[in-house]
Amino acid sequence: MAAPMELSCWGGDWGLPSVHTDSLVVLAYAKFAGAKLTIEPVDWTWKTLTGTVPSLHCEGIMVTEPVQILNFLRKGRHNADYELTAKQGADTMAYIALLQEKLQPALLHTFWVDAENYANLTRPWFASRSPFPLNFFLPSRLASAALSRILLTKGESPLHSITDVEAKIYSEAKECLNLLSYRLGSSQYFFGSTPASLDAFVFGYIAPLHKAILPSGQLQQHLKQLSNLCQFCDAVLNNYFGDGAPGSPTASQDSVDANLQKLTQLVNKESNLIEKMDDNLRSSPRRADPKPSPLPERGTPHQRDPTPQQILLTRVFQEVNICTTS
Amino acid sequence: MSLAAEAYVSQIAAADPWPENATLYQPLKEDQILLSDCASSLAVQAYLRMCRLPVRVRCRPNAEYMSPSGKVPFIHVGNQVVSELGPIVQFTKAKGHSLSDGLDEVQRAEMKAYMELVNNMLLTAELYIQWCDENTVAEITWPRYSSPYSWPLNHILAYQKQWEVKRKMAAIGWAGKSLAQVYEDVSQCCQALSQRLGTQPYFFNKQPTELDALVFGHLFTILTTQLTSNELSEKIRTYGNLLSFCRRVEQNFFEEHGGDSDAGASPRFPKSPSLI
Repeated sequence: MAAPMELSCWGGDWGLPSVHTDSLVVLAYAKFAGAKLTIEPVDWTWKTLTGTVPSLHCEGIMVTEPVQILNFLRKGRHNADYELTAKQGADTMAYIALLQEKLQPALLHTFWVDAENYANLTRPWFASRSPFPLNFFLPSRLASAALSRILLTKGESPLHSITDVEAKIYSEAKECLNLLSYRLGSSQYFFGSTPASLDAFVFGYIAPLHKAILPSGQLQQHLKQLSNLCQFCDAVLNNYFGDGAPGSPTASQDSVDANLQKLTQLVNKESNLIEKMDDNLRSSPRRADPKPSPLPERGTPHQRDPTPQQILLTRVFQEVNICTTS
Repeated sequence: MSLAAEAYVSQIAAADPWPENATLYQPLKEDQILLSDCASSLAVQAYLRMCRLPVRVRCRPNAEYMSPSGKVPFIHVGNQVVSELGPIVQFTKAKGHSLSDGLDEVQRAEMKAYMELVNNMLLTAELYIQWCDENTVAEITWPRYSSPYSWPLNHILAYQKQWEVKRKMAAIGWAGKSLAQVYEDVSQCCQALSQRLGTQPYFFNKQPTELDALVFGHLFTILTTQLTSNELSEKIRTYGNLLSFCRRVEQNFFEEHGGDSDAGASPRFPKSPSLI
């Protein structure tokens, strides 16, 4: 097929061609099937708000949703499933359903709902990739979409809280990872030695979990124990995205951005620490005082000994200096 | 089911044997139950029959509100109440009744994957058709769902339920689908199931598993329920091995009980045409 195909998707980072699961699925499948896609990252454009990601444009036709895009590519004779038997095709459908039902809710929770990951990793990343003024509200919009999706698909009544479903979705997701690990066994890809669409889906779902630096990652810890799935991820990355992540044409900007991101994370972490210290100081009895006294008119400990905050602040400034100079 | 409840089930429930007076609750069969609930209920009944565990079926107009998770069916065994197929399978397993013990790890992964395929495609399609297709909503769903309640509660509850299902459809990207696309999805799902089944009597050859119960529950219900159009059942009828699979499960697990006092548990519907 000679018609040029353009894919708009989220850009890459963390050693991945894209950080977005659905975009990764399409990118991986295109590589497996040998389809030539022109990649148009939506980063820093208004498409982050208005566009559906990922979407494939070909001769005026727009296709969205990974399953539809894969079907479209198959029709254009880019078929990575050509050698599969009918039963293997059925298995592919079943395992994709398993991923969507069991793994996806926990992944959405890990990246978008878990407060620590969201504040330190997801929000800074997506804010730094959105144009002004979208950076102020796009991440929270995506986060609330993720939360409502989890609640609507896994919650049990119209009035439910996220804490009720957390334990359930994580245990289901861990079971799902175990099942995938059993299914993969010691073979290189799910159906032998060449990757097919199921491999693209599994890669898309677990690669961000494998590669992201998550401050709170119980699911990531679990994945790390399943070494064959981790090796599978690395094999796909090395064999198909080996040459400096061709999915991201912005490699040079990435390094600058990585520094910036590191800095944001650092500042976030320190400010969290300061807040915690502050809370501790307020709630703790005045142990620092030489003569504890119940009288209320004494000066507050903050004014008299602000040293912990000062120490932390100077640490922040030092580290900022280190980061900017390096 | 919460983790605490799960731990409780696995620890305490294991001690008691299965009682004679176990009861399954579902909405009223004649006037109230909807396609998706009927399918889930039949799946649980088929599962318990495959395990040879006796259960009496009771129809209650407020079954949905009696259930701990808000979903039907649920079973009342001894002093415990468990709802939906997944937790019920775990519960019976804790009591020492399991259909999938003979499977190895890879087969178990496959079984779980196909069960999710049924939930992901067939169950979602049933919900879509009964709550999002205007004809079905007006002719079947709304009158049946609101039948036990008087004005104005009938309107409020049915509207609330429809709103909830529509939000769910929007969240999983089904809101923009047309009815034809939904039928196409069902057809693809049936094709996958048919390929997987092949010429075997059950999905894992000779022994039925919970996957067989789930597939039977959904397919048999779709085949025997009169909807506004029979396009949905026509999709299934094109796969001969799925039809004979349904017939096989019905013969082996439902017909021998035909003369029992719990004839209400038989999946035959009064208005339903015979299967083949």
